[in-house]
Amino acid sequence: MMDGGGGLRVSFQEQLDRTETALQEEGEFVLRALRGSMNALWEQDTELSDEVIAFDDQIDAIYFNIQGGIQALLAQQTPVAGDLRLVLALLYSNLHLERMGDYCVTIAKLVKLASDFEPEPALVDAFSDMGARAEGMIRVALDAFEQRDVEAAETLVDLDEMIDRANRRVVEQVFALGSDPERLEWGLRMITVSRCLERIGDHAVDIGEQVAYLVTGEFREFTDASRRPDSPSPQ
Amino acid sequence: MNQDTIDAVAPIEVVQRESTPITHRETVFDIRGLSVYYGDTVAVSDVNLEIYRNMVTALIGPSGCGKSTFIRCLNRMNDLIPSARIDGEILYHGQNMYGSGVDPASVRRWIGMVFQKPNPFPKSIYDNVAWGPRTLGMRKGLDERVERALTQAALWDEVKGRLKRSALALSGGQQQRLCIARALAVEPEVVLLDEPASALDPIATSSIEDLIHELKREYTIVIVTHNMQQAARVADMTAFFSLDVHEDGSRNGILVEYDVTQKIFTQPADSRTEGYVTGRFG
Repeated sequence: MMDGGGGLRVSFQEQLDRTETALQEEGEFVLRALRGSMNALWEQDTELSDEVIAFDDQIDAIYFNIQGGIQALLAQQTPVAGDLRLVLALLYSNLHLERMGDYCVTIAKLVKLASDFEPEPALVDAFSDMGARAEGMIRVALDAFEQRDVEAAETLVDLDEMIDRANRRVVEQVFALGSDPERLEWGLRMITVSRCLERIGDHAVDIGEQVAYLVTGEFREFTDASRRPDSPSPQ
Repeated sequence: MNQDTIDAVAPIEVVQRESTPITHRETVFDIRGLSVYYGDTVAVSDVNLEIYRNMVTALIGPSGCGKSTFIRCLNRMNDLIPSARIDGEILYHGQNMYGSGVDPASVRRWIGMVFQKPNPFPKSIYDNVAWGPRTLGMRKGLDERVERALTQAALWDEVKGRLKRSALALSGGQQQRLCIARALAVEPEVVLLDEPASALDPIATSSIEDLIHELKREYTIVIVTHNMQQAARVADMTAFFSLDVHEDGSRNGILVEYDVTQKIFTQPADSRTEGYVTGRFG
């Protein structure tokens, strides 16, 4: 009766399913963009950077497609209860993924700006770690959404803490680069790269919160950012 | 900073989300273990529910779930059906409405009802509204009473120039508002609405819904509706009735879930409610 396949509102259920599939596809695209931007960083590959920047159009296309689909669902199907929660969770998660894509573009642009400078091996290692963590977090968020798994979604908080720490270490390492203006310019660009990765982690946590809302109906933040004493708050 | 200044600074309050935002509730009807029978057939069984003052309570559920049977108990309309009888209690302000010595007519004096199909009398607009007060001997200030009822029913401006014309010349939506005015003319406490907009077009439906919003300031409203979005729009509380099907194929209405309307439409507790409000079955 409750599986949605019982005969009633079949096309509505299909629309919901299609939208959720599109969200997962958008997530895969973001993962590709992230991997591309990180590879470009390691390889100092400006051509790959351009590809990542151009690829964002595809993420945006899915984003608008989902947005339009949700608009139609709201206008024509008046979803309620679990359907309403799914539609809202899709709406917000869609935005979070799109923002992640934008951060990948920013990284790719910074790679181009910093391509003339010799990279600092220790920092590149740190980004390798952060990139892998960000990718892992997106994966956890997408799987938790698909599985309606609140416990998995809540693990994103600890994962985010790791990426936040890595971000702070990058800042310290840049300060340690000394006073050579060229090194410093490169370092400052890398602080922004680090910040982008850290923000991608935050958006993954936000998707986790949408999963919790979808399952429980409760709006809540996993962590109270205003009370985290050690969290930097630029931007 | 002196003490006065400290007191003058309002503390920052953390707003907690409550599943039940309505804090003050005065119970009008307290329904306890109500079952309704038509002959040997159980129409609705074991309903427990409280209806609160100055709120709109919507009764929703699939056809045959007993919601109309239930609402008709609230002003003893089922007394008019010879085979109907009830078990359990309906307390109206603490008093057993079905107690011995309670006159059904006096019940209906305080608890008015409006039906699915507008049913004006074949009389003038004025006489339709004046009929109840006249029957009850409320002859003093009758013109003012008629005007007040028509105003409350959001019909006065449309009919004030033709009060002596036949009510049957009004449109369906106007006729339904006239029936509401007729119910209001005796100044009841509760208005029961059984599918009041299901025979009306969308614009007339909207005007009835706006009217319900206005009326709850002064009246307690109970509404049966097939239109779930209508319940979502107008009701403070929503009761979901469904059918219990037994092994021998017999079926009877039951109350599945009763809660604040927002809860029913965002986070229903019972999977049967979820299935119904999302349109998955029923």
